[in-house]
Amino acid sequence: MLRKKTTVSLLSTALASALILTGCGSSGTNESSANTAANSAAGTATNASPNGAATNANAKPVEFNFYFTGSQNVKELWDTIIPAFEKQSPDVKVNEVYIPSGTGAQPTIDRILAAKQAGKGSGDIDLYEDGLSVVTQGQKDDLWETLGTDKIANLSNVDPQTMKDVSNLAVPYRSSAVVLAYNSDKVKTPPTTLDALYDWIKGNPGKFAYNDPSTGGAGNSFVVTSIYKSLPEAAIHESDPSIEKQWDQGFALLKELNKSVYGNGIYPKKNQGTLDLLANGEVDMIPAWSDMVLEQVSKGLLPETTKMTQLTPGFNGGPTYLLVPKLSEKKDAVYKFLNYVMSPDAQSVVVNKMHGFPGIELSNMPQDIQDSFKGVAEGFRSFNIGELGDDINKRWQSDVAAQ
Amino acid sequence: MSKKMKMGVLGLLLVTPSFLVLLVIVVLPIVLSFKESLKNKSGGYDLSNYEYLFTDKLMRSNIIFTLEVTVISCVLVLIISYALAAFMRFSQGMAVRWIKRLYMIPLFIPSVIATYGLIQLLGNHGWANRLLLAAHMGQLPRIIFDIKGIIIASLWFNIPFTTMLLGSALTAIPNSIVESAKDVGAGRLQIFFRFILPMTYKTLLVAVTFVFMGVIGSFTAPFLLGPNAPQMLGVSMEQVFSVFHEKEQAAALAFFTFLLCSGLGYFYIRSMIAEESVKNALLG
Repeated sequence: MLRKKTTVSLLSTALASALILTGCGSSGTNESSANTAANSAAGTATNASPNGAATNANAKPVEFNFYFTGSQNVKELWDTIIPAFEKQSPDVKVNEVYIPSGTGAQPTIDRILAAKQAGKGSGDIDLYEDGLSVVTQGQKDDLWETLGTDKIANLSNVDPQTMKDVSNLAVPYRSSAVVLAYNSDKVKTPPTTLDALYDWIKGNPGKFAYNDPSTGGAGNSFVVTSIYKSLPEAAIHESDPSIEKQWDQGFALLKELNKSVYGNGIYPKKNQGTLDLLANGEVDMIPAWSDMVLEQVSKGLLPETTKMTQLTPGFNGGPTYLLVPKLSEKKDAVYKFLNYVMSPDAQSVVVNKMHGFPGIELSNMPQDIQDSFKGVAEGFRSFNIGELGDDINKRWQSDVAAQ
Repeated sequence: MSKKMKMGVLGLLLVTPSFLVLLVIVVLPIVLSFKESLKNKSGGYDLSNYEYLFTDKLMRSNIIFTLEVTVISCVLVLIISYALAAFMRFSQGMAVRWIKRLYMIPLFIPSVIATYGLIQLLGNHGWANRLLLAAHMGQLPRIIFDIKGIIIASLWFNIPFTTMLLGSALTAIPNSIVESAKDVGAGRLQIFFRFILPMTYKTLLVAVTFVFMGVIGSFTAPFLLGPNAPQMLGVSMEQVFSVFHEKEQAAALAFFTFLLCSGLGYFYIRSMIAEESVKNALLG
């Protein structure tokens, strides 16, 4: 008896919510100026073509799954952008699947690959966010859809070179870079080249710190940049182990710096570790992620006097990409969403909320944003050395930390 | 079925759930990681990972460092906890009341927060140093990013529970024993070494086991407070596993840590069994 009752109430709830959903859908689309007549017709007609959903706005929104990973700030970013997008385009619904960083980014690409190999489309993953290495990894298996301005109009705002770097397989929607953060009270003229930086470190013993490279990208970038300093420029895109023989000079340099860095060779853990030292004044200069510095200055965690500069040649940096699995069945809806993400509106959210660099060219952004990134959002380099990074960390641990 | 047999079956049934849980979450993982640790680079099985563990300079110094931290922490924790527990048992007054109220507090503070608290307090620019500086009393030696930091953190994490354990053992000692010993003229030290210490020896062993295992497997504090090299085994394991992606070496390291702990566990269980058989002999 009781069970029957539950079923009935469940059914009626489902029915009611379905009604509400359709109601929302049609009233929402009615507001948009285009296709009003078509929409209200589609709302009642049962034979509306399902595949015309994105362009011909069916009353029932197309829902697609968006997998992304990262820290809490990434989640907050999407929690802001997605509702704004859904308000503007009621015919598309984005289903966020957030995977906290360190818990399963690798399985997501494995899932896409496994679904493809099993002939099951894209495994219900319609949009995916990750870094350069995943783009190249999936490229080998032909996982990603080629994107262009014909599908996503706002891609015209993106630097064509950035798109070419990933063979148009991904949308670089934001980026950040490792920069040199320093206390401008103590350091009047920050170094602008690597050699000048080394001189500064030796001239100011204990006043520079970089974090343990295996625990955070900022320290890692300092180490990698130092190792590749004396190597040809093309080497930073080389992932063949034969190049490891040429690392000796770089490691010798890092070893030598050991006695001049903070605490005669202390490398705090995590990117935040060195930022803490900068905040309490124990050191005056550190390599750090630009978005972390900007955010912590704006929250008052770092003093106002904290400034940033990029070296030439620059530290590691680069975009975070949005990828569309080739076998996704809801590409039209995804394109619509991507188009919104690359609009100056959504990009302003990236800048204001995350303190990231916009994915579109700065000239498309408001003037005040352009000013705030002067000298910082440029000059960084994208290192793509694959699994050699593991070997660098390993060798750093034995050669530099435990010398 | 005889009554005895029925009781036996019931006993087995009661033990089964805990045995299954133990099997799935303890025994199987150990067997699996042992198997993993024997895999070599070419896919075969040998002891190369263990060889690396004991021949690599870095790994050897990690192992020595870990044992050093663990042994020093164990000794200090036991001395301090025993003193605290004995003080609370045999004295009265304001100080005892306050210690009783306060000594459990560290148990309720999450380890990450406690660790950052220690950094704030004892760091180079922490407030302990700032106070000393204001009072023109020089500077503390480097504590954070050093072995001292890890030991201080282990003291903070382990003293409350150990004190509690030893406290309950000391409470179990009847006052009459102490008093009658006094009556026949035993001195304070004699009472302690002849009566109190032997009567709490078992609990002491339990406490050593807990502290040893807690410190040897610690991660948060050594990760945030420790030096970059040598590292404690927990930190090194994490690095080998998730940064260097050397699953087999990490497994070897984990299995070695397990062996160290089970060595101590052996003494613990042996003394427990000895106690049981004494009891049985007395009762039977």
